[in-house]
Amino acid sequence: MDLLFAGGEVAREDGPPVRADVWIEDGVIRAVGEGVPAPAGARVIAAEGMLVVPAMFDAHVHFREPGQEEKEDIAHGSEAAVNGGVTGVVMMPNTSPPIDTAAVVRMLLDKAREVARIPVYTAGCVTRGRDGAELAGIDGMRQLGVRMLTDDGEPVANPAVLRYAMEYASEFGMFFASHCEVLELSGPRALNEGLVSYRLGIKGSPACSEEICIDRDIRLAHATGAHVHIQHVSSGLGMETVRWWKERGARVTAEVSPHHLIFCEDDIGEYDTRFKMNPPLRTRDDNAALLEGLKEGVFDLIATDHAPHTEFEKAQDFVSAPNGITGLETALVSLFHHFVAAGEFGWDLLVKRYSAEPRRLMGLDPVPVEEGRRADLLLFDPAGETTFSRDFMKSKSINTPFLDRTLKGRIEMVVRGRDVLLERGP
Amino acid sequence: MAVILDEAAIARAVESLTDQIREGAGGHRIAIVGIRSRGDEVAERVCHALAAGGVAHDYGMLDISLYRDDLAHLAENPKLQESEVTFQVDGAHVVLVDDVLFTGRTIRAALGALWDYGRPARVALAVLIDRGHRELPIHADYTGATIETERMDHILVRLKNTDGEDGVELVRNSHPG
Amino acid sequence: MARKDFLDIASLTREEVHHLLEQAAPFKEVFTRSVKKVPALKGKSVLMLFYEPSTRTHSSFEVAAKRLSADVIDLDVPHSSVVKGETVKDTVDTLQAMRADYIVVRHKMSGMPLAIARQTKASVVNAGDGAHAHPTQALLDAFTLKEVIPEPAGRKVLIAGDILHSRVARSTSTVFRKMGVEVGFLGPGSLLPRKGPAEGIRRFTDFEEALGWGPDVLYLLRVQMERLEVQYFPSVHEYHRVYGVTQERFARVAGEGIYIMHPGPVNRGVELCHEVMDYERSLINQQVENGIAARMAVLYSLKPGTGEGGEE
Repeated sequence: MDLLFAGGEVAREDGPPVRADVWIEDGVIRAVGEGVPAPAGARVIAAEGMLVVPAMFDAHVHFREPGQEEKEDIAHGSEAAVNGGVTGVVMMPNTSPPIDTAAVVRMLLDKAREVARIPVYTAGCVTRGRDGAELAGIDGMRQLGVRMLTDDGEPVANPAVLRYAMEYASEFGMFFASHCEVLELSGPRALNEGLVSYRLGIKGSPACSEEICIDRDIRLAHATGAHVHIQHVSSGLGMETVRWWKERGARVTAEVSPHHLIFCEDDIGEYDTRFKMNPPLRTRDDNAALLEGLKEGVFDLIATDHAPHTEFEKAQDFVSAPNGITGLETALVSLFHHFVAAGEFGWDLLVKRYSAEPRRLMGLDPVPVEEGRRADLLLFDPAGETTFSRDFMKSKSINTPFLDRTLKGRIEMVVRGRDVLLERGP
Repeated sequence: MAVILDEAAIARAVESLTDQIREGAGGHRIAIVGIRSRGDEVAERVCHALAAGGVAHDYGMLDISLYRDDLAHLAENPKLQESEVTFQVDGAHVVLVDDVLFTGRTIRAALGALWDYGRPARVALAVLIDRGHRELPIHADYTGATIETERMDHILVRLKNTDGEDGVELVRNSHPG
Repeated sequence: MARKDFLDIASLTREEVHHLLEQAAPFKEVFTRSVKKVPALKGKSVLMLFYEPSTRTHSSFEVAAKRLSADVIDLDVPHSSVVKGETVKDTVDTLQAMRADYIVVRHKMSGMPLAIARQTKASVVNAGDGAHAHPTQALLDAFTLKEVIPEPAGRKVLIAGDILHSRVARSTSTVFRKMGVEVGFLGPGSLLPRKGPAEGIRRFTDFEEALGWGPDVLYLLRVQMERLEVQYFPSVHEYHRVYGVTQERFARVAGEGIYIMHPGPVNRGVELCHEVMDYERSLINQQVENGIAARMAVLYSLKPGTGEGGEE
C-alpha cells in the first residue's frame, strides 16, 4: 500500500520542521515537498497539523530475555518500542544467563528475527557473567555484529580489568558503554543521598559516586584510545565531567534518559517505588543542568534505559524493590509534553538525539524523511493526547510513573518500509 | 429549644439530692464519685453542701470512656480524661453521681470502672435529672428532678465550671438519627 | 475522624501530638488501680510483627495491648538479617488470614510499616522502621519531658550520638520541635548528616561547645555498633572520650541540672559513664514507664478499617 501524508510538516535534525507532503511508494520515500499530487491507488493520510518524523532508536533497553521473561521478552519489548514510535533498539546484556558469549547472542538474534517486527540489536558484556573479573567472549560476539560492550547494571569495578578490555576490544572497533558508580560509596543503591534519603531514613548514593566513575572511565578510554559511551547520566556535575573531556578531545559520548530530565528525588514522596532507579533521581538543579547539557550538545543522545519489573516486585518496601522504570512507550510523548510543547527545545533536537545519533552510535545510517530513503518514520499529532493506561501498554510490565496519566501528543502511525507497524485510529 | 431548669432550679435540685443522699447514708461514711463530664461537677456541689453540713465523706471522679459499650462503633474514640479514685473502694459505700440518667449505659460502664478499683459494699446512684427511656435494669436511688422526654430529644446540661453558666435545655428532635 | 495508622511523627499536626500527650496521663493512672486493665480493646487482636529483635519495645507494646484487654498474637517472623523475597504482599496476605485489628510492626527496612498499612484495613503501628521513624518512642519522650518541664516551648534539647542511623533522632527531634523546643544535634562529623536535618536544628561536633549552647536536656543515643559495616569513627574508646558523657562532663551536666534521657538500652562506657545511671535527673527509667502509657494512648486513638487500604 502506497501512502501519501498530505498537509503536514516534516521534522529533521538540522532545523525546524518544514511544511511538506510525503509520498511513499513501495516502502521508499519518493517525494517530499509541498503540493505532492495524490498518486492513483495511494492511501492519502490527512496530516494537517501533524508531523512526519524520522522514527526513533533506543540505544539502551532491557528486554529481560533470557531468564526473566515474566517481566518482558523480545516480542513484547519490541511491540512496546513500536508503540512508542521506536523502530530499533539495543538490548542490554544483564540477562540470566548474561549475554557474554556468541551462543547467547546468536540465540537472541535468531529469536528477534522470528518475533520482532523491528531490528533488535544487542550489546555484549565486558566481563564473563558481569562479575568484573574475566573478559567475556568478545570476538565471538563481535562476529555476530555486536559493537557495544557493557556490564550495565554494574560498573566494571576493577580499573585494570576495564583498561585491558578497552585496549583489546577497541582494536576491533568496538566501544564501551559505562554504567558509572563506585560500589563502596553507593550503599543499598536505593536513592540519591540528600534531603529525601534523610527524611525516608534510607542510606543514599551520593552523586560523587557516579561522578568519580564517569571521570575514571573517560580517563581510561582516553589513555587507551577507546571510545567510551557514558550511560544514563543523572548528575549535573557528572555531565560537566563529560563536557570537560570532550573539550580536550577524548572519544566520549554520553546519553541522558527522559526520567532524569523530568523527575527528581522529591517525586519519591512516601516511598513510591515508581521513582526508584539506578542511577537515582537527583535534585531539581540536576534536572535543569542536564536539560541545559542536552540543549548544548553535551549529550549525544537520549536513551530510556527501559527497565521492566513486575508489579509484585515493585510493591515491595523501597530498598527491596528492584531499580528501574519502563520508558519505551512513554519517551517520545513525554519528551514532547515536557519540553517541545513547553518550548524548551524543538523537534530538531528530538530527531537528532533520539533518532539520528543513536543510530550513528551503532554504526547505522540515520533515517531522515528524504527522497530516495527507505521509509522509517512516524506520524505525530501534537494536538492529540495519549493516556498511558494499562490497556495502552504493549510491554509486559507497567512500572512507570506515567501509568494512567494523560500527556500531550500522540503517535498516530509508524511506518517502516512497506509495513504500517502501528496505526492508532480514533 | 426550651430552658427547663434555670440556675435557681438547678441549685434546688442539688439541695434536694444532697438531702436524699445524707438521709440514705444510714450512718455509713459515703464516697461520692462523680462521672465525668458534668457528673463530677454535680458531685463537687453535693460534696460542698455535705461539707457545709459537717458530713464527712470521700470523693472521687471517674472517666468511663474506656468502659463504654459502643467504642467499636464510633468513628473516633472519646477524649480520655483522668480518673481519680484514691480512697479505699473495698468495703466502701459509694454514691455514683451523674448529671442525666437516660439509657443507663453510662452507669453500667461506671460500675465496670469502679469494680476495677475494688469491691464496694454498696453502690447507690444519684442523678441531677432522670429523663427516662432506660434500656438496662438500672435505677436512680436519688433524683434531683424528673423530666419527660421523647427518645430522640436532647437534654443539654450546662454547668458553671464546665460550660461557664448553669442551665438545662430540652431540644425537641423530630428527625430521628 | 480518627486515623487508621500511627506511622510517624512528621505527619501529625501539633494538635494531634498535644492530644496524644494528654491521653497518655489517664492511662498512667490505670497502673495505680488494683485491676490494671481496662476493657477498651476487649475482643480486639493485636498482632506483633517484630522483624528486628527488641525485648523492651516488644514487651512495652505487649503490656500496653494487654492492659487494654486486647488479645496479643506474636507472629513468629525471621529475625535474621536479610529477608529478601518475602514481599510486602506475602506478609500482608498472611496477616489478612489472621484478621488482626491492630498490627505493630518493627522492621529493618524504612517504609515497611507504610507499605503494610496501605495494603491492610488493620491499624498499623510503627514500632521502628530502619532509620526512618520510631513514633511511639518520640511520644513517650515528649510525655516524659513534659512531666519535668510542663512548658517546654523555648527550652533546648541536645540529641547526641549516631544521628545518621537513628530513627529515634528523627522522630524525637520532630516531636520536640512540634512542641516549640529548640533542638541541637551533637555527634562525629561522619554520623551527623549535612543534608536533611531541618534548618532550625543546630549542629555540633564539639561537646563542650554544645554544652555552652545551654541545653536543658541531654538526650543520648545508643551508638549502634552492630549496624556499622564500615568505620565511622576510630574506636569506642575514642568515641567515649570525644562524644560521650565522661565523668568530667557528667560533673558539669549535673552541676547545671541538665536532665538526661536515653531510649535504651544503654552502653555504659560508650555514650555515658556509670555515674549517669544513678543521677537524680536521669529520666531514663521514667521513659520506660511512660512507654506503656504512651503506647496505650496510641492504640486507643486509632480506628482500624477507616481510610484506604486492604481487601475485605
